Amino acid sequence: MALGITNTNNMAPELPLQFSEDLLSTPMYNLIHSFGCDMHFAEAHIGKTTRMSRYERLSTDGGQLDGSGIDPAPEVVVRSDIDATMEIYAKTVVINEQVTLYENDKVLTKFTALLGQWLREKEDLLMRDLYSSSVSYVNATGGLNGDQPSEISRNDVNNIERILLGNDARTMLQSVDAMNKFNTSPTRDAFIALANTDITPDLQNVSGVILKAAYPAQEGLRPEEYCSISRFRFFVSSKAAKIPGASLTGATVYTIPMYGLEAAAKIDQNSYSAILGYRPPYVVSSVAQNSQLYAKFAIARAITNQNWISGLNVTQRL
Amino acid sequence: MAFTILDGGSFLSTGAGVKINIPSSCDYFKTWNITQMPLAPATPVVVMADWFGEKFGLGQTAANDGLRWKKSANTSVLNLDTFATSTASDGFTYIKTVPYVEAQAANAITAITAASPAVVSQTNTYADGDIVRIYNTTGMLQIGGMPFEISSVSGSGYTLTGLQAVGFAAAATAGNTRRISKYAAVDPEVLYVTEVTKASSAVVRFSVDPTRYYVVGMKMRFSIPASMGMPELNGLTGVITALNATNYTATVDIDSSAFSTFAFPASTTSPTASLFATAAPAGAYTSYNPLTLVQTGYDFVKQPFHSGEFVPYLFLAGGAQSPAGASGDQINWMSYKLEV
Repeated sequence: MALGITNTNNMAPELPLQFSEDLLSTPMYNLIHSFGCDMHFAEAHIGKTTRMSRYERLSTDGGQLDGSGIDPAPEVVVRSDIDATMEIYAKTVVINEQVTLYENDKVLTKFTALLGQWLREKEDLLMRDLYSSSVSYVNATGGLNGDQPSEISRNDVNNIERILLGNDARTMLQSVDAMNKFNTSPTRDAFIALANTDITPDLQNVSGVILKAAYPAQEGLRPEEYCSISRFRFFVSSKAAKIPGASLTGATVYTIPMYGLEAAAKIDQNSYSAILGYRPPYVVSSVAQNSQLYAKFAIARAITNQNWISGLNVTQRL
Repeated sequence: MAFTILDGGSFLSTGAGVKINIPSSCDYFKTWNITQMPLAPATPVVVMADWFGEKFGLGQTAANDGLRWKKSANTSVLNLDTFATSTASDGFTYIKTVPYVEAQAANAITAITAASPAVVSQTNTYADGDIVRIYNTTGMLQIGGMPFEISSVSGSGYTLTGLQAVGFAAAATAGNTRRISKYAAVDPEVLYVTEVTKASSAVVRFSVDPTRYYVVGMKMRFSIPASMGMPELNGLTGVITALNATNYTATVDIDSSAFSTFAFPASTTSPTASLFATAAPAGAYTSYNPLTLVQTGYDFVKQPFHSGEFVPYLFLAGGAQSPAGASGDQINWMSYKLEV
């Protein structure tokens, strides 16, 4: 070491640390369970249960007049009433004044953003729970892992398409037209399928799968989308539904809701779908040292047409 | 930081587990067995128990555990250990998400009879009305993975009212169970269909008591894989006209008299035969009969889609050496929260 030179060994920085203004990312899972459902709105002051009604179509049997003057038998119109109860969820963060006083970052702003993220994540899980609890799933049997249900296969996916088409379900997504690009394939207008990231190796292994990168065009695709199989486009999330110990052999079963238009509804309470608030220190604390941030929202959810939603129970193989 | 008493109460134990709802979460929970506290019992009992939440970090209580204040046989002397300590007994479990799958070792079945109703032989600590998922079945592969409500429970077995297995080729010789929550995350929920009669109004049997989730006037849409027989019912929606809590059945306004016979596939066809038959909630049929004054379609408790089970809650296991006590014990409890 050279003598007489002032360097960082004998003259260390007064502050050997600086705070980067570029905050690192807060992890957030893919929010896939709310898009694809219909939005409804509930007004205040008229109860907490929303009723959605659908008139069932009339029978097309018979109807020809034979000239005798006898009227055709009248048909009783059938209405199905779908009810959903509003529920309120909330989260709060209490902050001591010394945090805001000493913290380099603007914590109240960041905490508010965190609460906003919680709000959307919680909403996503609530919609996931609706799909996993109240929909009939078909056990996959076309796979090779020897379990019941098996891993996902092309035949199983085709079977769900047959069920939905047989019930006159409408596709959700438009086709992606063919283009003159190597290794790309067009996708047909499609229903939506929501899957857990645990089974992405099995999705890649399904016969005829088109991974997202092989779509002819990438514009407008959501980052959560993973692939297209048959008439379905698959969206994945690490929080998508799974049921531990529910297969024949006790393995985890993954439920994959697969649906078209107007299969499910999310009902927002007007003026209560996303509330973020702040309670100042003089309200929260007797010596005005703690403040409070909170987020709350109201939501109701329903499967509005069981004919237009189905899905697969699958297990893992790969 | 200070503790705030959130809530408190008492109950007379039936010997079964007890669920205490804790809407605003909980950081510390305590029970006292008022009946056993002054006694020197002939067999060991737990007279006081403590549970610590996640704010205690490494000191938090694991699932099915907690501190137990225990009296040994014929003495009033207290021994303090945890429920997990040998000889272990069931303690507290804090439930934050549903559906809940009980964290327990695989519980072995030794037999399921091919009878109606099927009877399971299994050493167990279950209670009437519990729902268990049966898996790893040997000899009855066609029910592996299905949940069942159990009744007539003894320490050595129980009855599956929802499974009429007399038509099965053979009894099951082995299997495992795991207790799951009685309600799904959202209700009304999908139910597993185990039998459908051929009648002008079909009577549908489920693996669990349907009256817990459905009322007369609600609609169900049936999903029947071809391997279960009665394909004519697949995709049909019917209105429930009657429910039976004893037989786990619902009568629906679907004429199945000319349908094919509903039947489980043979065990030997598993796992390739598609399972299971299910019924999903499809709204309600709203009606009012001015002659009988009967009104349907206006039940706003079970009919609307809603959260199945309120969380969080603390589950107190039942039994003389558990927080919820033995039958006849008076149990007091308090929940606390760390407050700013």
